[in-house]
Amino acid sequence: MAEIVSVLALAHAPGATGWLDRAPRHEQEALLAGYAAMGEKLRAARPDVIVGVANDHLLNFPLESIPDWCVGTAERWRGPAEWFRDWVNIPPYEVAGERELARHIVRESARRGFNLAFSDRLEFDDNWSVPLKFLTPDYGVPLVPIHMNCVVPPLPEPERCYAFGRTLAEVVRAWPARARVAVMGTGGLSHDPGGPKYFAVDEKFDRWFLELLASGDPQKVVREATIERMIAAGDGGTVELLAWIVALGAAGGGPAMADFYVPSVALRCGMGGVSWAP
Amino acid sequence: MSILNTDKTLPANKLIFEVRRDVRLRERFSTDLEGLMSDYGLSEAEKDALRNADLERLGELGMHPYFLPQVTRLFRGAGYNHNESAAARLYAEKMLKGKP
Repeated sequence: MAEIVSVLALAHAPGATGWLDRAPRHEQEALLAGYAAMGEKLRAARPDVIVGVANDHLLNFPLESIPDWCVGTAERWRGPAEWFRDWVNIPPYEVAGERELARHIVRESARRGFNLAFSDRLEFDDNWSVPLKFLTPDYGVPLVPIHMNCVVPPLPEPERCYAFGRTLAEVVRAWPARARVAVMGTGGLSHDPGGPKYFAVDEKFDRWFLELLASGDPQKVVREATIERMIAAGDGGTVELLAWIVALGAAGGGPAMADFYVPSVALRCGMGGVSWAP
Repeated sequence: MSILNTDKTLPANKLIFEVRRDVRLRERFSTDLEGLMSDYGLSEAEKDALRNADLERLGELGMHPYFLPQVTRLFRGAGYNHNESAAARLYAEKMLKGKP
């Protein structure tokens, strides 16, 4: 049976790779140190595969039919999508998928009340390109990408996201292969692409959210970290924290330790990451 | 301006969605925006807002907020998109009336 050896969540904003040199020196250093520490922690857990959960950013999900979650079932992935290549400033890369685990997740989640879409053709933008660049720069760990709808209402409510995370962990552990699996949520923290706070960060909200995750009280998290509150902290971006709530569920609801937090106006995002004890 | 006001059925949303996924459509965005907008069935209000990169109006019409900075990048370039970049300045000009 597979085991979950690491659960983490972290920001993926494109400025981290696209225009980091424009941030103040202390922000650059704190961000690079934070990502490096998370990468070390992840690699120390020796995962055979990463199951990722992140915003689709309206890149793959057609406007006509938007699922809550879509599991990437391909054997191999390529990124970044052409239109985002200059933006994220990351050269083309390939990373292996894990088709059997992906199919297992789709099949077994269906038995547990989650109707997941699936696809062999998902394009990647900053959602995976930025975290992978920092955490697994050799692209050596296979990825099962789960794209989710964080930005086109109606969104899956925090309670539903938490329940999906719980189910995801249960399903991963039921995979018959002997495999070490990491679960990684990406996105957030506060940012507002397309809104009036585009050039701002809501540090107060971010610190509140990080403390909430540290509480180890998942019921409090889903009760208080509402979609309305996320929207108030940055309309089109902060709601990506729903992917962190999936990770919280996969971790079993325990307290998350903040690995770093950098409120960066230069990167137009509250940058940070947390991990859960395995 | 909010994701809550998005009109998923707005033709301009479909246009931006597809332009980002197809190099040929993106070339057409630069060389034949009027023809492209007509092919996608944009209303006169949508056409007027898009050709002028009027982000505020596009948002009012129901364009998804996530697409609005991408409109600035389609017009002004996507690379090195820092706060002083041409695309970010266009955003500030059109959405925030130049502030900050």
